[in-house]
Amino acid sequence: MTPAVEFQSVSRHFGAVKAVDRVDLTIAEGSFFAMLGPSGSGKTTCLRLISGFEMPTSGAVRIFGEDMGMVPPNRRHVNTVFQDYALFPHMNVRDNVAYGLMVKGVDRRSREARAEEMLSLVKLDGFGGRKPAQLSGGQRQRVALARALVNEPRVLLLDEPLGALDLKLREAMQDELKSLQQRLGITFVFVTHDQGEALSMADRVAVFNEGRVAQVGTPSEIYERPATRFVADFVGSSNVLAPEVTEAFGGPRAWASLRPEAIRLVSGGRVRGTVTGTRYLGAGTRLEVRAGALPGPPSGEHDGGIAVLVPAGAAVPAVGAEVALDWDAAALHVMGDGA
Amino acid sequence: MSDAAHPARGPGDRLTAHFWRRPKLLTLLLLLPPLLWLGVVYIGSLAALLLQSFYSIDPFSGLVVPEFTLKTYGELLIPSNFDIIVRTVAMAAAVTLAAAILGFPIAFFAARYAKGRWKAVFYLGIMLPLWSSYLVKVYAWKLILAKEGIITWAAEGIGAGNLLNAVLALPVIGGNSLSTSYIGTFLVFLYVWLPYMILPMQASLERVPTSMLEASADLGASNWRTLRSVILPLALPGVVAGSIFTFSLTLGDYIIPQIVGSSRFFIGQAVYSLQGTAGNIPLAAAFAVVPIAIMLVYLTIARKMGAFDAL
Repeated sequence: MTPAVEFQSVSRHFGAVKAVDRVDLTIAEGSFFAMLGPSGSGKTTCLRLISGFEMPTSGAVRIFGEDMGMVPPNRRHVNTVFQDYALFPHMNVRDNVAYGLMVKGVDRRSREARAEEMLSLVKLDGFGGRKPAQLSGGQRQRVALARALVNEPRVLLLDEPLGALDLKLREAMQDELKSLQQRLGITFVFVTHDQGEALSMADRVAVFNEGRVAQVGTPSEIYERPATRFVADFVGSSNVLAPEVTEAFGGPRAWASLRPEAIRLVSGGRVRGTVTGTRYLGAGTRLEVRAGALPGPPSGEHDGGIAVLVPAGAAVPAVGAEVALDWDAAALHVMGDGA
Repeated sequence: MSDAAHPARGPGDRLTAHFWRRPKLLTLLLLLPPLLWLGVVYIGSLAALLLQSFYSIDPFSGLVVPEFTLKTYGELLIPSNFDIIVRTVAMAAAVTLAAAILGFPIAFFAARYAKGRWKAVFYLGIMLPLWSSYLVKVYAWKLILAKEGIITWAAEGIGAGNLLNAVLALPVIGGNSLSTSYIGTFLVFLYVWLPYMILPMQASLERVPTSMLEASADLGASNWRTLRSVILPLALPGVVAGSIFTFSLTLGDYIIPQIVGSSRFFIGQAVYSLQGTAGNIPLAAAFAVVPIAIMLVYLTIARKMGAFDAL
């Protein structure tokens, strides 16, 4: 099957800045694909390369096998939900949603009927006559969604779609987007810096770092088997262990990742240490433990000690307490030497 | 007070505290001078003007009769007076339209594409003409447009002399030379008021987020469609603001048509001569009310058209 979107060694440079640097990417049709990364990692630029608002400096972007090199945004069968929603303030909600059809020359009656259908799809029946300024953030987001879907795109692009919503609404919209994608069966590509969002919604995740794709995989692959130190640290902020430390922890002499929640407090485990800090997270408490007798700092980049997640309900040792740590041998995930 | 955390520090602090507790008093104090200026000096004199326009002049003694009458307004409808109004309004409309068409691309470029140094060049380019004397500019234009001026010379130089003559031979707007025709008056008005159109347009275009233009393209719109359906409606408040300047400034000006153009009167000139040599203050006042009335009608229409909806 032809992939919905394909990047072939795509680079986008802004002067000396390599915003996107030789990215290869394949997005299968019908998938919910997340581009995850910190700001400035190139994920948004990649999205704009698909929508056509950026042109690659080199390489090729293909949509359903067709090279998009000479195709301007208005001729691409993809639509975008913008980060700021970009609703037209001078039009009411119905005209906003019907805009894509108006541009195509669909007559007023049919396009308005279609717009109402789209509005009911996003559960905004009866809001057609309002102006965007009269809606809440969540409602505006739905209008943006309906407007992008009215042209029946084969690929829907979402730029930080939930970034501006509060936590509760964000969670509700995550479920809704997911079920909408499954119902419509079209490809969703969304950009986010929120790893929880990427893991919970996407079928596949591409983790971006400094213009390059650090890893592509299913959410569980990304989380459980991070390919690089960056992925391990960015997704779920794992303990990234330097080779000497891994060795001391009973693994091979290589970089490794050890999830904070995989570590248990026991009496007499593999490593002993002192609690240097605690952070209450609600669903648990995150401890910083400084292990004695280790060759060098325990973690790679930041030597804050070893992070341990104590689940809610379990006894939380006080700062300064001596603790012993243990984990299943399989939890120590050895990574390639990548950055 | 001996409270160590918030020691009192003198009368200035006490005054600040006083105002802090009564924010309305401070607002009132700040607003009083401008309100007095606006209310007494500005609105007051306007009201006096309006009052004068309802008086009439005694045809024999030439004295103002301070009795309410609509006779003076009736005089505006006399063909010779009404022609002045039509001429002025037509000129103001033409200048406004031309300024909008000419100014839009400039404003659009400045708002969307000019960055850093280019932005400074833009502002300088727009503002620089405003730094020199209005009279100097108008007289300079008279020389430029004169029969012996650079335009005639250049037109003949490139063999377009006949074209220029053909344009000048046009009825009504043509004339002996550019500097004695309505075309000349129009060009000078356009030159002098153009910055007042560009600046508000640019400000309103700058407020249109790029993502909105991208959204339009993303939904399949061509650039032309985006301009028509998104950019223009959103820039309309700026266009209207600019047109208020160009329209009302042209309506009221009495210098430019006096120096450049045919010797026929515009409203401003009529007011000037009526209140001066003729001493007919009521008719001058009635003439002066015309631009105000036209602007009120204009703003009402603009508002009905939704020009201020996107504000």
